[in-house]
Amino acid sequence: IPPLTYKVVAECSVSKARAGLMTLRHSEVRTPVFMPVGTQGTLKGILPDQLIELDCQILLGNTYHLGLRPGIETLQKAGGLHNFMGWPRAILTDSGGFQMVSLLQLAEIDERGVNFRSPFDQSECMLTPEHSMQIQNAIGADIMMQLDDVVKTTTTGPRVEEAMERTIRWVDRCISAHARNDDQSLFPIVQGGLDIPLRERCVFALMERQVRGFAVGGLSGGESKHDFWRMVDVCTDHLPKEKPRYLMGVGFAADLVVCVALGIDMFDCVFPTRTARFGCALVDGGQLNLKQQKYKNDMTPIDVDCGCNTCKRYTRSYLHHIATNENVSCSLLSIHNVAFQLRLMNSMREAIQRDEFPQFVRDFMDRHFVGEPIPTWIREALAAVNIELPEDAVQPTEEQEKRTEKSR
Amino acid sequence: MKFVIKSISKNSGRLGQLRIKESQELATPLLMQTTKGGSIPYLTADAFEMVSNEQQLLQLTLSTMDQMAESLALWTRPLSDYVGLPGHNTVLMIRDPCETTPAGGNDRDVMPLFTRRGKESLTATQYMEMVAKFAPDVYQGLCDADTNPESTKKRVQKSVDRTERFMNECYALHGKEQRLANSTLLAPIVGGYNTFARTQSIKHAKEQPAGSYGGYILEGFHTNGLAATTLSAAQLLPIVEHCLQQLEDDKPRLMPGAFTPLLTLELIRRGVDVFDTSYAYCAAANYKALTFSYTKDAVQHAAFLDLTDDEIKEQFTPLLSGCTCLACSKHTRAYIHHLYKTHELLGPILLMIHNLHHYLGFFAAIRSSIAADQLPELIEHVRLQNTDAEIDYRIEANAKVISKAAMGKGFIAAAV
Ligand SMILES: [Zn+2]
Ligand SMILES: [Zn+2]
Repeated sequence: IPPLTYKVVAECSVSKARAGLMTLRHSEVRTPVFMPVGTQGTLKGILPDQLIELDCQILLGNTYHLGLRPGIETLQKAGGLHNFMGWPRAILTDSGGFQMVSLLQLAEIDERGVNFRSPFDQSECMLTPEHSMQIQNAIGADIMMQLDDVVKTTTTGPRVEEAMERTIRWVDRCISAHARNDDQSLFPIVQGGLDIPLRERCVFALMERQVRGFAVGGLSGGESKHDFWRMVDVCTDHLPKEKPRYLMGVGFAADLVVCVALGIDMFDCVFPTRTARFGCALVDGGQLNLKQQKYKNDMTPIDVDCGCNTCKRYTRSYLHHIATNENVSCSLLSIHNVAFQLRLMNSMREAIQRDEFPQFVRDFMDRHFVGEPIPTWIREALAAVNIELPEDAVQPTEEQEKRTEKSR
Repeated sequence: MKFVIKSISKNSGRLGQLRIKESQELATPLLMQTTKGGSIPYLTADAFEMVSNEQQLLQLTLSTMDQMAESLALWTRPLSDYVGLPGHNTVLMIRDPCETTPAGGNDRDVMPLFTRRGKESLTATQYMEMVAKFAPDVYQGLCDADTNPESTKKRVQKSVDRTERFMNECYALHGKEQRLANSTLLAPIVGGYNTFARTQSIKHAKEQPAGSYGGYILEGFHTNGLAATTLSAAQLLPIVEHCLQQLEDDKPRLMPGAFTPLLTLELIRRGVDVFDTSYAYCAAANYKALTFSYTKDAVQHAAFLDLTDDEIKEQFTPLLSGCTCLACSKHTRAYIHHLYKTHELLGPILLMIHNLHHYLGFFAAIRSSIAADQLPELIEHVRLQNTDAEIDYRIEANAKVISKAAMGKGFIAAAV
């Protein structure tokens, strides 16, 4: 049996959205899926049993962090990350390259790999495609990522093309170095900046490789939303329908809905758990900052319709008092926020299966942008896949457009 | 609240049943669940249920919950529902036994309350108004407990005198507060390590009309936090015994603080009924797993396993072999060591799960051994752990562990 099989279960008859079933060594994953990020082999204050109760099917681990601590040797002795952290379900790991470039100011990329100084002993290190494979083979994730040449999304000029070409050269090095192809599936990453022809060239080149799925990278890094959705759209236009597509680093609710409409199957984002640490809870209309005084005496749950253990037991009032004061608030809000993301994905999947996805999108946008016009980029992106939204009474102001680029 | 003694033996402690409201009975010697901000430290309600499904007595503390008073005044359901732990009983106390209570601030008519936001001062009237907003099942009377083994005679005497003044008001207000109609008041016994002062404090309580209070809380032996783990048995036990001799049998005696397992056993032998889980918390917060044995065997045991120890980096074994808790059945020492190294919140969560499981098991073993009249044997086993010398159960602050300040309010800043 191959370590990854993917089957499209239902397709939206209007947009590019699809529901699928991905079968991995450690679990079945129903797509579209959101993968919570467990950077260091744990998801911020949530027990594996609690994640299973939330029906989380796949987690993301960060190769850069896991390679430093506990390190390859320990992971190998433990029999991989699944055993080490006591998580029986699927795991996906990134290549480590992006984390290094974003976390380490001194990281530099050349043809060999990513150069950096160790944050612990300041020694010179190099993460090569081969090294990234070696660490990811030790981690043993069900899905692993190629090392790619990462440039800032806002970069323009020849550097973007160089990075794209190098990413293709590196995927071949990764494929050669991958020692556990019968257990783990390697995804290449589509690069090409904000340039449609480059993105197309990259997709076609990667499609010639023997891989079981694809990632779309180099987005969600500060580019305008107008560019963002067009890049996703061009990639899903050409990527093969019978393989899963993973859009890296995207996780705001409205972005998830738009990108599912554009044909993406897998997402990850640190946002739901990061925002929990600051006392923020995700709801249909955006997020509640529970530290605000208006929640002090609010004796309702975060969301009456949410079935998570936090909403079943705790009021906004109590959470207001303990948020950022007691460690347990971090766990409680993370649980709710992960539940929110997973529920959103599930309801999209069900809508696709009933072939009611366009109506789902209209209802969602209505709830999400309460009293605010829907941003132009969302209208345009959805129109590109034949989902028309009802006219707003007013056009969004420039300020509103800008705000929705980031905060939702 | 009703308390019934099931058996008393001269050298072997006493077994009792505590019934709070119409709920099921809680067997004493009893372990209260210490909370912070109303929650079991580090544990969500469902995580705690993975430790125990039994009904608990929750020890809530004003110093970690005072900011909730206004909200609670609007709350119409039981206090335990508000903190996400419905169905359990609540005891409201003043100080958090897990953290050192700062000294000072004892002016004539006010009691200092040290909270996360700094020091506040409460008069007896303000205190009772605050307690009424919480409407707990049981609560302690206001007292000056700022005494420890080093306190001067003058400080001790002041604590007794001030406590009397506070309590005169508490007794008077207890009957008048509508929201406290179903709450039981605990009489505080203070007086440091001075037999004369202790007797005076007990006398004041016993002078009250019958039904004024439903139990005793023994305070003023330590000022909370890790210091309670270092108390000298030779110093503490005689003064506690002096107090207990003067208390009637049919009222429960509570004694908050992170006493070592050994000292806890000695206190139980002398007749203390109710303790709390601050010792299990203090161990977890300092990255120690409890590993002492309370079942007779022939193997040597250590008091703790230190999870910050690099030697366990690749020990893929449970915290304690044979332990059936969630942490031990699903995770390893190596993993929890990794969580320590990466300052991940799951580390103390797993340690708290294990330590609470272990300590609840310890208390169950204590009750069975009293029932079998074998408490002295259990004490000997806990004292030596099959080694040649008395085991050191003290908990020292683990310098390698991220500071309390960083794990509290500042832990957000540390995590970013
Ligand atoms: Zn919820
Ligand atoms: Zn255990």
